[in-house]
Amino acid sequence: MRKRRLLRLLLGLEVALALVLAWRFTGCSFARFWQRRAHMGDIFGKMLPPDWGYFPRILSPLWATLQMSLTGTALGALLALVTAPLCAANLGRPRLLRLPLRVFIQVLRAFPTLILALTATFLFGLGSFAGAVAITLYTFAILTRLNYEDIENAPTGAYQALCAMGSRRGPAFFRACLPQVGSSFLSNALYLLETNVRHSAILGYVGAGGLGLLLNEKTSWREYAKVGSILLALLLAVCLIESLSAWLGSLIRGQRRIGPGAKRLLLAALALLVLLSTATLEAPDFSRGNLQTAKSLFSGLFSPELSLFLVPGRDGLGWLLLETACIALVGTALGALLSLPLAILGSGRLMPRPAAALFRLVSVAVRSIPFLIWGLIFIRVTGPGAFTGVLTMAVCSIGLLTKRFIAAIDGVDLRPWRALAAMGVSPLLRLRHALLPQLLPALGSAALYRFDVNIREAAVLGLVGAGGIGAPLIFAMQHYAWREAGAISLSLVLLVWLVDLLSGKVRRGVRG
Amino acid sequence: MLLQVEGVSKQFHNSVHALRDVSFSVEKGAFVSVIGPSGAGKSTLIRILNGSERCDSGSVLLGGVPLERARSGRRRALQKQIGTIYQDFALVENVSALQNVLHAALPDMRGLPAALGLFGKARRAEALALLERVELWDKAEEPVRDLSGGQKQRVSIARALMRHPVILLADEPVASLDPVTGRQILELLKDLQRQEGLTVLMNSHNLELSRAYSDRLLGLREGRIVYDGPADADPAQLEKIYARGQEETP
Repeated sequence: MRKRRLLRLLLGLEVALALVLAWRFTGCSFARFWQRRAHMGDIFGKMLPPDWGYFPRILSPLWATLQMSLTGTALGALLALVTAPLCAANLGRPRLLRLPLRVFIQVLRAFPTLILALTATFLFGLGSFAGAVAITLYTFAILTRLNYEDIENAPTGAYQALCAMGSRRGPAFFRACLPQVGSSFLSNALYLLETNVRHSAILGYVGAGGLGLLLNEKTSWREYAKVGSILLALLLAVCLIESLSAWLGSLIRGQRRIGPGAKRLLLAALALLVLLSTATLEAPDFSRGNLQTAKSLFSGLFSPELSLFLVPGRDGLGWLLLETACIALVGTALGALLSLPLAILGSGRLMPRPAAALFRLVSVAVRSIPFLIWGLIFIRVTGPGAFTGVLTMAVCSIGLLTKRFIAAIDGVDLRPWRALAAMGVSPLLRLRHALLPQLLPALGSAALYRFDVNIREAAVLGLVGAGGIGAPLIFAMQHYAWREAGAISLSLVLLVWLVDLLSGKVRRGVRG
Repeated sequence: MLLQVEGVSKQFHNSVHALRDVSFSVEKGAFVSVIGPSGAGKSTLIRILNGSERCDSGSVLLGGVPLERARSGRRRALQKQIGTIYQDFALVENVSALQNVLHAALPDMRGLPAALGLFGKARRAEALALLERVELWDKAEEPVRDLSGGQKQRVSIARALMRHPVILLADEPVASLDPVTGRQILELLKDLQRQEGLTVLMNSHNLELSRAYSDRLLGLREGRIVYDGPADADPAQLEKIYARGQEETP
């Protein structure tokens, strides 16, 4: 036990040391931020009031954005449902099939939607079809992984019993395993739908349709009032999708019940919505991406320019990867620091309900602004470079972290708090000794999860000049330098894999 | 008298009368059980006695000092003399048994060491001695979530003793334990009373156990004291505590 505590202390010191080093490496400086803080308002100020007359023009790209996310999430989920059982180790499927599939998923998971979308535009041409393909792939990779982990943690007795009675494996899976992991699968899919709406809003930056196209155009023309109205429309769409998803989520978890007739009606309506958004999707345009491009793309990606790994200094892959990892690390830590007070203020258990609702709205608003816009805002303050990346990452982490932190606070056991109060312990010490020990594991695992996400997201910060490996990758792709792009992609895959390994170790340490 | 309760009444917002004009006193070194059906107001009484809740009228005197009217600092000073154990233990589950016992030392500590959880050698030794007293010495470093119900209640008792309480309040201490473990916990409380002169005031809905372990019984029904007498009284006398409402009210 004492040894365990010592190990945990050591782990804490390691993480702290890594943070300090990463802070120095990315050139973060509170002083610089404080000096130029007034510039935060530069762009915000110009967005208000939004250009109300512009709203009708937004509707069609907004629908395209929703189309991409609805179609992509639904298709990705379907694909994941078929693939996940093949990846799970406990269903007796051949290893030869499982391992390559898992590697494929792991590789796919390393790429943010924006990079997937950029690749898709080379194959399917500009427009929302490429965006939908990117969202589908992203959803497929994340959901397959989550689902096969769920399957591996579920008991398989019923499945084996059915197989032993001569049932075929497919039907046996759907009858015996799916009921156990189904609700978790659907909750994850809903959560991904929420993220996908936000992701698909920026895919237009690389030509994949939707709101991003407008956003890119209006920020380049500095028509900030119009940017303001686009962001407002996006906030409304995100609120709509999130409340829909919260309502569906409460149905899935069985906290709310509806009659069988209403259920059928709901399913039909949802299916119709997905079908409608898929059927009216912009058709792919093969005029630009011909067979030749596809061929050179794939041959380049599969024969990466390995010499890039050996380039020393700031242009070398090693440096860029380190910078990306540092941005994600410091950004996540800073985000967690910002999220804790927001979560305490937003928890209906500790605060009066209207105040809590207000702070939750603040967190949704922060989350619905795409990271590219945050990047533009911070670049005015801290200039191009890794520090801007850190700030952007921190603010973008607030949404998810606040949500998870609030859930942790809502699940806390208040009885020890009351017991210590009855002994005359002051409120601050009660917070420290009765609540913090209960919260810490949940807070830590939320931060770790967000770090996993951030390490991938950090790869696209380059798009706004905020450091990391994204700028060279996008640059290489836009110049058809596929062998370079292949090398950078490979390094990204390796980085994500390494971080997976490390964060698994930390996770076990936190759990104790 | 160690504890004097005079004319205490409490009404909740939903207009349920939890306690009506309750008066009794407890002398030092006694083992008193408050018995009565669910909803009689037993838990409310304990919460008023340890200062977690305030009563609407009446007074509670601990060693002659009024608890009711005392505000923050003085109130906390009085609360420090009271130990409470609960039906659901109220321990921090993912922290070790030793740490939970040490929590009781927090009110006496300065800000910084208390915040950092630096309890010092003397306090650790005392907490370990108390864990040994409740026969849990070997579990000191285990997280509480890995302990059984009975062991958790023992940790909770050690935490209460860490305060050197003048009185130990026990709110249904054995209601969530199996009968054998429950008896062991009551044995322990009885030992503490006999050997160390601890005063115990226990809530229980289990008449049989209360009769076996206490010196005196207080019968509470619909917020009123309906019986105050020795534990070995004629069972027929105790019946009226549990008699149905309509038969008594005219």
